[in-house]
Amino acid sequence: MNAATEAAADAPTRPPGGSRLDRVPPRILSAAVGVAVLLLWELLARTVYAGSYRLSPPTAVVAEFFEFRGLYLRNLWHSTKTAAWGFLWGNLAAMALAVTATLVPWLRRSIGAVVLTIFCLPFIAVAPILRLITGPGNATPIALSALAVVFTTYVAALLGFDLAPGSALDVIRSYGRGRLVAFGTVRLRASVPALFAGLQIAAPAAFLGAVVGEFTGAHRGLGILTVRALGALQTDRIWVIAVLSTIVATGGYLAIGALGRYLCPWSPALDVGAVPVARVEPGLLNRLAGLLAPIAVVFVFWYAFLWVFGIEPFFAKTPIDVWAELFSEAEAAETRSLIFGALGTTLWTTSLGYVVGLAGALVTALVFILVPWLERALMPIAVALRSIPIIVTTPVIILFVGRGLLTTTAIVAVMSFFPTLVNCYTAMTRTPEGILDVLRSYDATSTANVRNAYLPTSVPALLASARIAVPTSLLGATVAEWLATGDGIGAVMVTAFTRNDFKILWVSVAVLTIVAVIGYWLVAAFELRTLERMAPGISR
Amino acid sequence: MDRRGAPVDVVGVGRTFALGDGEVVALRGFDMHVPAGGFTALIGPSGCGKSTALRLVAGLDAPDEGIIDMDGSSPDEMRRGQRIGVAFQDPSLLPWRTVSTNIRLALELVGRRHDSAAVDELVELVGLQEFGKARPSQLSGGMRQRVAIARSLVTNPDLLLLDEPFGALDALTRQQLNDELQRIWTARGTTTILVTHSIPEAVYVADEVLVMSPRPGRVVARHSIGFERPRTRELLLTDRFHAEVEAVSASLHRSEGQVVQLDTDPS
Repeated sequence: MNAATEAAADAPTRPPGGSRLDRVPPRILSAAVGVAVLLLWELLARTVYAGSYRLSPPTAVVAEFFEFRGLYLRNLWHSTKTAAWGFLWGNLAAMALAVTATLVPWLRRSIGAVVLTIFCLPFIAVAPILRLITGPGNATPIALSALAVVFTTYVAALLGFDLAPGSALDVIRSYGRGRLVAFGTVRLRASVPALFAGLQIAAPAAFLGAVVGEFTGAHRGLGILTVRALGALQTDRIWVIAVLSTIVATGGYLAIGALGRYLCPWSPALDVGAVPVARVEPGLLNRLAGLLAPIAVVFVFWYAFLWVFGIEPFFAKTPIDVWAELFSEAEAAETRSLIFGALGTTLWTTSLGYVVGLAGALVTALVFILVPWLERALMPIAVALRSIPIIVTTPVIILFVGRGLLTTTAIVAVMSFFPTLVNCYTAMTRTPEGILDVLRSYDATSTANVRNAYLPTSVPALLASARIAVPTSLLGATVAEWLATGDGIGAVMVTAFTRNDFKILWVSVAVLTIVAVIGYWLVAAFELRTLERMAPGISR
Repeated sequence: MDRRGAPVDVVGVGRTFALGDGEVVALRGFDMHVPAGGFTALIGPSGCGKSTALRLVAGLDAPDEGIIDMDGSSPDEMRRGQRIGVAFQDPSLLPWRTVSTNIRLALELVGRRHDSAAVDELVELVGLQEFGKARPSQLSGGMRQRVAIARSLVTNPDLLLLDEPFGALDALTRQQLNDELQRIWTARGTTTILVTHSIPEAVYVADEVLVMSPRPGRVVARHSIGFERPRTRELLLTDRFHAEVEAVSASLHRSEGQVVQLDTDPS
């Protein structure tokens, strides 16, 4: 008699009862929902939205694709190739950084700051700056695609290295061997499942980087095709591109997930989207060092970037130049009012969407927990939608919602909704069975279950998602503003871009990045405090 | 002594689980009778369905066949009437609540949120007066189990179900908690069913020890334990205690032997 059979015999079971829909096989339920969505989409497009240039019916999307399949496949292939190169370079860089951070612990915080800064960059405005170095070729989309994957892969690899069993590391040490041997024999091997979980998220992110890079000028690729179609109001074309992007990004996500499961069949599903933030050592000096060292490192990188690539001073702006533009130049007041006025608009629309997205996700996760058949019908769709980079489908949302202020809000809400939903729901399903049994043994109401079990267990995932959603929301907002709305700092940047005004472009990038980093750390600080207060000693 | 609580009658209960393409018969022909206010221990080899049996009595799972009756109520009715207290091997405390509020959880669930006196009484009963405001992460394993026991008792249930509550503890702590469990049971007189792996534990605390066969589990031997109460640790050293442990142990080995015969049976 082994533990496995015992566990099977004592498998948790629920008291009899529940909806009859709970017994429909999940595949059939999902397929039915998918067909229903397609039918509704077709119906709406043919009736309510007919001739509105907002919604293309699925049949028209398919017809459009086949009519111009040469054009689509050529550009799709181009963008996919770009994303693949970016995926390769970005992951190599992220791995190198993660290995360094693990082997040289005192560098960890500084490396983390650089990686976070990269994650917080407003990619859409970074593209024209990168183009100064790379010229008009394909290197800028590749570089952006690489930058887009660095953060997730770095976080995942680091998590993987840290997940190595401490007892195994002690065995290595007991034989008098050092960190390097421990890394080669234990940590590298132990990191594989987490690494694949990270690469899985990185695949759609690489595609996103490539397409965003193409938005700002490229000869080929889905990005530039989108910009042209938006200009010409070719609704069908925009929808085809969105569907193709979704298929390729989801395909990459699923393929890497399958590869990970094939290579590490023993490992449970890991979610690197909900890794809690690391704790800061107590003490004022530690805190100060923790704050200043990373800032210094980022500035060093900034100067190094300008120096290594030898950018002409007319285009290159150092941190001092940016400071001068904002505070000491003759036109500083004007620049300030332009940038911060626009930033105010962006922050307002973004935070509205951010809050709506997070709150909606939490409520939906709770509904899914309480109504299992609804979860089984809709969750596969949510998981698929989480895997796609929503930014790639921004043009579709622009078409559908229009070009007002609310477009930004809608895009940000959709972007933060899906990852948060999946993370929170997953956390809720991991509520210890024993706690649920205790609640069940008193015949607790749904409200009591939510309050005492599901809501508290989802708090870490909610906060981690909220933290990650800060930079991605700002990225989504700036892309929407750049492409469509004509409001906010995204619009300021696109105007500067078309006028070759690199001063404003640099200042905007710097200010946006700082805002994103600060936002990230504010949520991180709140996250740490909340987790400590909820359950001292439990958080990492 | 004031005996209270519900008698438990289990007759011919069976439970089968699906496992992959096949199925696992966890229980078949399981019978058990626990008088009102009685203390019964359920013992048997790993995977014999002890926990399954307890979950069926708790109304957390439903049998495929057979009857479970408690003073005219079904387990599900008992559960819905909030007349059951359970504690598992995993204390299953809410990590974000303190010792007191974890115990109060059960009161909140039965709609007696403001009964602070009951919470204080139970905190004292399990000897955690100084730790009322501590969180589970700050407690030792034994202390967490005491909280779980206190939580299962605070609502004054008619039936107390304990599934190896001390299984993960060291021998010394375990013995302490067995003493406490006996004291609490003597004071409260609640019908109690204890699932355990430890024969001495079962003999020490229970009125009756039921020995189960390997899967599919059923009761193959009953041992009435007649030691007077309160039982003390001196009892552990006596020959009559050892003789009782030996007897239960022999039943357990016989029950395991039965399955060897069943397994080698060509049919």
